[in-house]
Amino acid sequence: MPSVIADTDADKHLTARHAGLASCRACGTLHRKADRIVCRLCGARVHSRTPRSLQRVWAFLLVGVLAYVPAMTVPVMLTRSLTTRSEDTIMSGVLELMRQGSFGIAAIIFVASVCIPVIKFAIIGALALSLQRGWPMSEHARHRLHRLTEFIGRWSMIDVFVVAVLTALIQLGTFITITPGRGIEAFALAVIFTMLAASSLDPRLFWDHDIDGSSRTR
Amino acid sequence: MASDRRIDLEQLIACPACDRLHRRLNLARGETADCVRCGHRVQTALVDSIDRSLAAASSGLLLLLLSVTLPFLSLSRAGIGSQISVLDAFSALWSSDFRWLGVVTLTLIVLLPLVRFSLLIYVLLPLRINRCTAHRVRVAFRWALALQPWAMADIFMVGVAVSLFKVGTVARLEIGLAFWALLATIAVSWYLSCVLCRDTVWQRLAADGCRR
Repeated sequence: MPSVIADTDADKHLTARHAGLASCRACGTLHRKADRIVCRLCGARVHSRTPRSLQRVWAFLLVGVLAYVPAMTVPVMLTRSLTTRSEDTIMSGVLELMRQGSFGIAAIIFVASVCIPVIKFAIIGALALSLQRGWPMSEHARHRLHRLTEFIGRWSMIDVFVVAVLTALIQLGTFITITPGRGIEAFALAVIFTMLAASSLDPRLFWDHDIDGSSRTR
Repeated sequence: MASDRRIDLEQLIACPACDRLHRRLNLARGETADCVRCGHRVQTALVDSIDRSLAAASSGLLLLLLSVTLPFLSLSRAGIGSQISVLDAFSALWSSDFRWLGVVTLTLIVLLPLVRFSLLIYVLLPLRINRCTAHRVRVAFRWALALQPWAMADIFMVGVAVSLFKVGTVARLEIGLAFWALLATIAVSWYLSCVLCRDTVWQRLAADGCRR
């Protein structure tokens, strides 16, 4: 598929904001700043930059991290069979899978439930801090990290669906029964709020210091 | 004077990732344009986007309805068996007193994909047959795009695969038709994200004469 560079003649980077315009995040329609607050094409609210973007990011991220603590420590699944009764947290489930020799499945669960959330917390926190403190960090690196968090976030939900399917499927009376544990609720909350944190971060903020570092929207 | 300004704005486009202003290009079929500063895709002109997306959305809707109604998995051990449909992932959580999580699960794996396919049909069908579109069609397209990351049927299927491995040692499993239907829904849905050209659709919606 041929790709062309959009604009080649201008060597300085004029942004919509600097030109007194605001583009709609939903449909891309440009508006004069004082034009209207609601997009004339798609009806979305238009902001040059998402208002209080970083404040929202911190709020959602905090809830996500707080929910992640019980998600890791409280059992997510209770198994009852004729003779035994066991409670599994996410980590003990992973260890159990490894003990049975299912290393591939153990790896999938570990990556989706532990690696991805922790990496997301770290990246979103670092991006928000770097914007607030003005840390020197390449815009391209920020841009790529942000794209990464938006892409990987949803895959953390795997464990919630595993518990839902097993609960539905394993109802064999006295032989074996699986019921969900409270930890899975906390886990679902952690994933949802981290996704909200990632989408609250307005990527246009990364590039603003090029022109006006002082007037960056917080 | 006022009309001059309007024309001005329509010849420009801002990069959605870094806000850099570009002149709008007249792309040929299949061409794409990237931002000179951050490299984000700014404009696309995917081939036959409306036809292909409409086909994908309607088959996706049908397959999804099939996968909800047909039996999904069945399992048996020593004469005791159970058969579940996709909806049982919701009802099992609901009846174990995990009500809101059941609702969230149902929403993510069935309702949102259903709404997304339906909204896209609602938007693309009038464009395909050249009917004028009302404002609510443009609102519908905005919602269809916003829902995309929250429609998690594909992630559900990975969860199902993991569950199958875990169950395999305990009991005998049979895979139902709904399993294949849901797999096909996901394939169609991925194809849809590849062929749906936001640019083309927004421009068609913006150019529509029935506005105001």
